[in-house]
Amino acid sequence: MANIVEVNNLKKRYKDLEAVKGVHFAVGESEIFGFLGPNGAGKSTTINMLSTINKPTSGEATINGFHVVSEKNKVRESIGLIFQESTLDEKLTANENLLLHCRFYKVPKEKREERIQEVLEIVDLSDKRKQIVETFSGGMKRRLEIARGLLHYPRVLFLDEPTVGLDPQTRNHIWEYILRLKKKTGITIFLTTHYMDEAEICDRVAVMDHGEVIALDTPDALKTDVGGDIIEIRTADNYQAKTEIESNYHVDVKEADDVLTFQVNRGSEFLVQFVREFSVEILTVNLRRPTLNDVFLHLTGREIREETASKKGRGH
Amino acid sequence: MEAVFAVWQRDVIKFFRDKARLLGSFAMPFMFLILFGSGISGAMQAMLGGDSGGGALADFDFVEFMFPGIIGMTVFNTAIFSALSVVQDKEFGYMREILVSPMSRVSIAIGKVLGGTTVAVIQGLMMLVFVPFIGVSISFIMILQLIPTMFLVAFTISAIGLLIASLLKTAQGFQMVIQILLFPMLFLSGALFPLNGLPVWMDIIVKINPLTYSVDMFKDIILDPETMSAPLRQAMGLDIEVFGHVITFLEEAVVVGAIGAVFVVLATIRFSKTEA
Ligand SMILES: Nc1ncnc2c1ncn2[C@@H]1O[C@H](COP(=O)(O)OP(=O)(O)O)[C@@H](O)[C@H]1O
Ligand SMILES: [Mg+2]
Repeated sequence: MANIVEVNNLKKRYKDLEAVKGVHFAVGESEIFGFLGPNGAGKSTTINMLSTINKPTSGEATINGFHVVSEKNKVRESIGLIFQESTLDEKLTANENLLLHCRFYKVPKEKREERIQEVLEIVDLSDKRKQIVETFSGGMKRRLEIARGLLHYPRVLFLDEPTVGLDPQTRNHIWEYILRLKKKTGITIFLTTHYMDEAEICDRVAVMDHGEVIALDTPDALKTDVGGDIIEIRTADNYQAKTEIESNYHVDVKEADDVLTFQVNRGSEFLVQFVREFSVEILTVNLRRPTLNDVFLHLTGREIREETASKKGRGH
Repeated sequence: MEAVFAVWQRDVIKFFRDKARLLGSFAMPFMFLILFGSGISGAMQAMLGGDSGGGALADFDFVEFMFPGIIGMTVFNTAIFSALSVVQDKEFGYMREILVSPMSRVSIAIGKVLGGTTVAVIQGLMMLVFVPFIGVSISFIMILQLIPTMFLVAFTISAIGLLIASLLKTAQGFQMVIQILLFPMLFLSGALFPLNGLPVWMDIIVKINPLTYSVDMFKDIILDPETMSAPLRQAMGLDIEVFGHVITFLEEAVVVGAIGAVFVVLATIRFSKTEA
């Protein structure tokens, strides 16, 4: 599989802060590649360097074979960008926003109409074409931006926190559109998110923290690395239970909000036996596969805080 | 070319869409011409010619005098405030859509200046609706002369606006800078009252103010000074002297154009450095 994005020891320093500390990775054609990490991890900074917005302090990156520093315009033609904050002109109609984009990217005149219809269809906005964007809901604006980002047939679509600030239902919709898009066009999608569940749709995920990529694999492989299944129990006496589990099964038990959590291999079989032989009274028990949240916890010892990024703050 | 056109087109569409701004743009000229102008013209007439004297200055009609100045003011205001959109685009994010596209920065800057220019010319022409109420006569030939003159003036002012906008990050900052520039440039341009017998330092400001020459060009076209008596021309401040030489229309056009050329280059260079 050919690599459409290649990144080599890319660094970005802001005065005394090293926002991106030399990252390495490659993204294959038609892949959905995700950057997962807490606010401030350096996700936007990396995307901004790849999309020619910020100049790297050192290191190299190519998109579609073009160098992000010395071949800026070629890179710009090859990518679509959806930023964390809206970049629509809200005083204009959807159609006008799209037409201007066609002009900016030199989409041939005779192809414009067809493409506008095509991208509006992908995001289900065909009937809103003549409306002023100001009247759109947050989700519709996002979809319109995605549509606009596709107009010039980019090879890679960058989406920086595409669902931030949207309600959960709208977020799900946006992901449906993104998956539909991938199926339809085979475009490479490069996204960032700090929502764990959203990273699940990626073919591969790079976990980012403090400017470094600390793990990179498929979501399943990352979860397997965590080590088995996760058991969560509540008991009548958590202190006693914790001591007993640790001494009997030699696992590390974490306690949070009254719930004891530990990891075991082959959880289903383990659980049957565990419940039978455990001496402390069990109130509730839950067995689950690890999530990406567990992956992050496992890698850093911290949870990704699920706070929404401040809406007004320019997080780039 | 496509890029210049696209950036230009957006500004023009938005100008016509913003009905409130369109209507509001008549408010200031209306107040100056009808309220202030008519109000003061009686007093001016009394001071200049007097009812008794009937001398050379009896023909001084203050509203008529002000009209070209008001056109100049309108063109100036519209052109300079059109650059506000650059700062707003930075604030509201649209500038990123523009800057991450493959368009060259130079095309974007030129498109912006031409957008501001076009809007200012249209706005300036709209001021002609006041003509029937103030007793100046405007011929078709005058309008044909006004359009390119307005274009030249608006281009220069838009370029100055873009330079200021490229240096600033917030709309608030931009508005403040413009307010500080606006009134001195307006008052010391001869747009609102004749500039005669000024102290030297003020006279210097008048002569380096591009608006002075701009307004004088509009006066040349609309007031037809050839037909006036010398004392009247003098009282209206229509003979602008630079180093003892009475500057001609063509020279004025060259001065305004040259200032425009310098600023459009500076603005483009500065704008090209804008980070997305
Ligand atoms: N223009 C800037 N100047 C200084 N520091 C910045 C700038 N942009 C981002 N940073 C800092 O770089 C770090 C990474 O930020 P960012 O890439 O936006 O993180 P993320 O997108 O993962 O939330 C943060 O600590 C942020 O404060
Ligand atoms: Mg970010």
